[in-house]
Amino acid sequence: MQTYLLRRVLAVIPVMLVVATVTCVLIHLAPGDPASIIAGPDATPADIARLRHQLGLDEPLPTQLVHWYGRLLRGDLGDSIFLRRPVTEAILERLEPTLLLTSWATLIAVLIGVPAGIVSARYHNTAVDQSFMGLALIGLSIPNFLLGLLMILVFGVWLRWLPVAGYVSLDLGLWPNARSLLMPAVSLGLVQSALIARITRSSMLDVLREQYILASRAKGLAERAVVYKHALKNAIIPTLTVIGITFAILIGGAVVIETVFNIPGVGRLIISAVLRRDYPVIQGVVLIIALTYTLINLLVDLVYLTLDPRIRYQ
Amino acid sequence: MKRFSLIALAASLLFVTPAAAQETPRPGGVLKVASIGEPPTLDIPMSTATLVYEIMWHVNESLLTYDKNFNPVPMLAESWTLADKGLKYTITLRKGVKFHNGKEMTAADVVPSLRRWGRVASVGRALWKYVESVDAKDSYTVVISMKQASSSLIYGLSEPHAAIYPKESIEAAGEGQLKEFIGTGPFRFVEHRPDRHIKLARFKDYSARSDPPSGFGGKRTAYFDEILFLTVPETAVRLAGVETGEYHHAMFIKQDSYERIKSLPALESRIVKPRGWAVAVMNHKSPLTSQKKIRQAFQAALDMEPILVAGFGSKEFYRLDPGVFFPEQPWHSTASAKLYNQKDKDRARRLLKEAGYAGQPLRWITTREYEFMYKNALVGKQQLEEVGITVDLQVVDWATLNNRGEKPELWEVFSTGFVFSADPANHVALRCTFNGWWCNEEKERLLAELQGENDLKKRKAIIDRIQTVFYEDVGSVKLGDYFTLDAARRELRGDFRTAPRLYFWNSWLAK
Repeated sequence: MQTYLLRRVLAVIPVMLVVATVTCVLIHLAPGDPASIIAGPDATPADIARLRHQLGLDEPLPTQLVHWYGRLLRGDLGDSIFLRRPVTEAILERLEPTLLLTSWATLIAVLIGVPAGIVSARYHNTAVDQSFMGLALIGLSIPNFLLGLLMILVFGVWLRWLPVAGYVSLDLGLWPNARSLLMPAVSLGLVQSALIARITRSSMLDVLREQYILASRAKGLAERAVVYKHALKNAIIPTLTVIGITFAILIGGAVVIETVFNIPGVGRLIISAVLRRDYPVIQGVVLIIALTYTLINLLVDLVYLTLDPRIRYQ
Repeated sequence: MKRFSLIALAASLLFVTPAAAQETPRPGGVLKVASIGEPPTLDIPMSTATLVYEIMWHVNESLLTYDKNFNPVPMLAESWTLADKGLKYTITLRKGVKFHNGKEMTAADVVPSLRRWGRVASVGRALWKYVESVDAKDSYTVVISMKQASSSLIYGLSEPHAAIYPKESIEAAGEGQLKEFIGTGPFRFVEHRPDRHIKLARFKDYSARSDPPSGFGGKRTAYFDEILFLTVPETAVRLAGVETGEYHHAMFIKQDSYERIKSLPALESRIVKPRGWAVAVMNHKSPLTSQKKIRQAFQAALDMEPILVAGFGSKEFYRLDPGVFFPEQPWHSTASAKLYNQKDKDRARRLLKEAGYAGQPLRWITTREYEFMYKNALVGKQQLEEVGITVDLQVVDWATLNNRGEKPELWEVFSTGFVFSADPANHVALRCTFNGWWCNEEKERLLAELQGENDLKKRKAIIDRIQTVFYEDVGSVKLGDYFTLDAARRELRGDFRTAPRLYFWNSWLAK
C-alpha cells in the first residue's frame, strides 16, 4: 500500500513537467503580449519593443523555459506582470471565493443528483424515472452561463431577491456570503447534478440486478434496507469518481460562471490573465489546477478502499 | 379624468429632469461604476488605453486640460506664455496646490514628471524630439525650450498622460512603473483589488480652480465620499446591475439595449458622442491599393448609409460626416465633402477601367470582435462587387488583425475605428507610420507647417488643405462617425459624460 502511494505521488512529477512545458510554450506562441496590452492601442511599435525589453519578454523561448524550470525547482511561480505581486499570493487570495463556490455547487449537485438517481433506479421505467431523466437531459444540455443569466434576470432584476452579481467575502458574515454565492452555485450545481443523477441511476440499476440483492430480497429484507443499505454502498463508487471529477472541474472550470457573476475567484484570475497575456499567472494557475486534479483523483482512489473492502492497491 | 392626471403626472416627471439640473448638489455617498474590465496599468503615462485615463485622472491631474470645445486650458498651471517664435514656453504654476501626501506641488515635481512623460509616454516620446530642455525657473515657473516649434506640445500637456506626480514617486519608480499613485486630483487613490474594484476617496484638501467648469477644465468639486470602479466584464450584468441599483453607472452597454433603457424610468441613457469613426484603412504598399485610381474607385463605389445602418443599427449611433475631425471640435472641416459618400458606381467603374483593373482579389481583413467592423465590411464588400471589384473578406480575431496589419504583403484593406484626437497634428489617420503607410508628400509638408503654426485661423486653413489631400489621394476611406452607449441611474446628477471621456467630479447622487 505504501509503495502504491509513493508510486502515485511520484507519478505526479512527470505530469506536472509536461503541463509546465506545454502551457509555457503555448502561451508564448499565441499572438499578442503583455507589453502591447500595457502600452495600449495607440502605442508605436518602438514603445512596445522598449516595454517588452524592460519586462524581459524579448528573450528567446528556450531561455524563458529554462528560467521557468529554474523557478519551479525553487518552488517559485514568479511574479505577476500586472498585479505586481507573487503568483502564489495572487492565487491564495482568489482561493476563498472559488473554494466556497465549488463546495456549494458540489453540495447542491450531490444533494439533488444522488437522490434523483436512486429514485429513478428504484422506480425504473416508470413516469417518475422518465421525468427525472428528462429533467436531467435538459440540465445537461443547458450551458451554465445561460442558466446564470436567466437566474440574474428572474431573481435579480424581476424579483429583486438576490444581488445580480458580485461577491461578499466570508468575513462580512456567513449569510451575506451565502447570498452572494447562491445563484452562481445553483447554476453550476444544477448542471452537474444532472450528470451525477444519470451516473447514480445507471450504476444503481446494475447493482440492483446483482444476485446478492435478489438474496436480500428473498430473505425478506424491507425494500428500503435493500436499496439504501446493500445496493447504495456498491453503487456509489462510480458516482464518487464523478463527484471527485466534478469538484476538480469546478475548481478550475468555474471560469464562465465567475465571469458572469463577477466573482473574483481563480477562474476570473485565469481569464483576465489570458486576456492580458500575464504569462506567469497563466502558467502558475494552470499548474496548480493540474496538481489539484491529480491529487483529487488520488484521493478518490483512496476513498474507494474504505467503501469497498474488496479493492486492494498493490 | 384619471387618464388626465396620469398624463399630468408624466408631464411633471418629464419636467423634473431640467429642474434637477439646477438643484443644489448633495455631497456624500459612494458612487459605484461598472467598468468593462481591469485597466492594464494605473500608471497613466505608461498607457494609451482610455480606461486607464477615465479612472486615474480623478487622482492625477496635468498642467493643462481641455474645455468644452476641446481647446487647451490651464489646470494645474495658472497660465502659459509662448515666446521666441514658438521656441520657449513659460508655464506658471498655481500656488498652494497640495498633493495627497500633504506636500505642495512645485516646479521641483513638475520638471521630473514631464521628463518621465517624455521618456515613457507614447505621445510624450513623440513630442520630445522637439524639446530641448525642461527647467524650473523658480518654485512656480517651468520653462520648456524647444529645438523646433511644435503646436502639438500644448495638446500633449493637456492629455491625462502628462500627469504630474510628486518628485519622490518618480524617483521611486526609476525606469519601471510607478509604485504609488499620489496626485493632486479631487479624489485620492485608496486601493486596487484586481477583478474586484478600484477605490478612490474624496481628497479633503483639494485645491480647486475658481473659474467655472467647462469641459474637463475649470472648477472641480468632489461630492462623493468614495468612488468604486467595479470590474464587470459581462455587458448583460452591467445593464442588470444598473437596473437594480447596484451600480449607478455602466460603461459600454450594447447599442441594441437603447430602447430597453428608454423604457425604464429609473435609467437614463448617455450616448457617447463623439466616440470614433469607422474606417477602411488602405494599404499604400500593396501593388493593388498603391494605385491611386483603385483607391478612388473604392471610395467612389461606397454608399455609407447602409454600411453604417448594418454596423450601428439605430440612427442615434452613427452620423454621416466627411470630417477627419468631429463637428464637436474646432477643427471640423467640410473640405472635399463631395468625395465622401459618393455612391457613384459609374465613376467607380470608369476609374477601375482607367487603372486597368483585371479582377485581382482585394484582401479586406476584418473582425467580429468588434461586430460593427464585420458588418461594415460585409455591406461594403457587396457594394464593391457590384462595380466589379473582387473582394476577399478575411474575418480574423482582433489580435490577429493588428498583427497582420503590420505586414504590408498580407492585405489591401483592413477595418478599424479611429478614436477622438484633440490634437489635429497627431491624428492616427494622418500618421505616415501607422499601418497603411500613407506618406503623401503634400500631407507631410502640411503637417509640418501645422506644427509650426500657432494662429488659430491659419491652422484651420491648413487643416482644410490636409483634409482635401486626404480625400483626393484617398489616405484611407472614412465610413462614418459612431457613438457608444452608457447607462446611468437618474439619481446620478451632473455633466459626468463629456464625450469621449468620463469623469465624476462635479457629479453627485440625489436623494
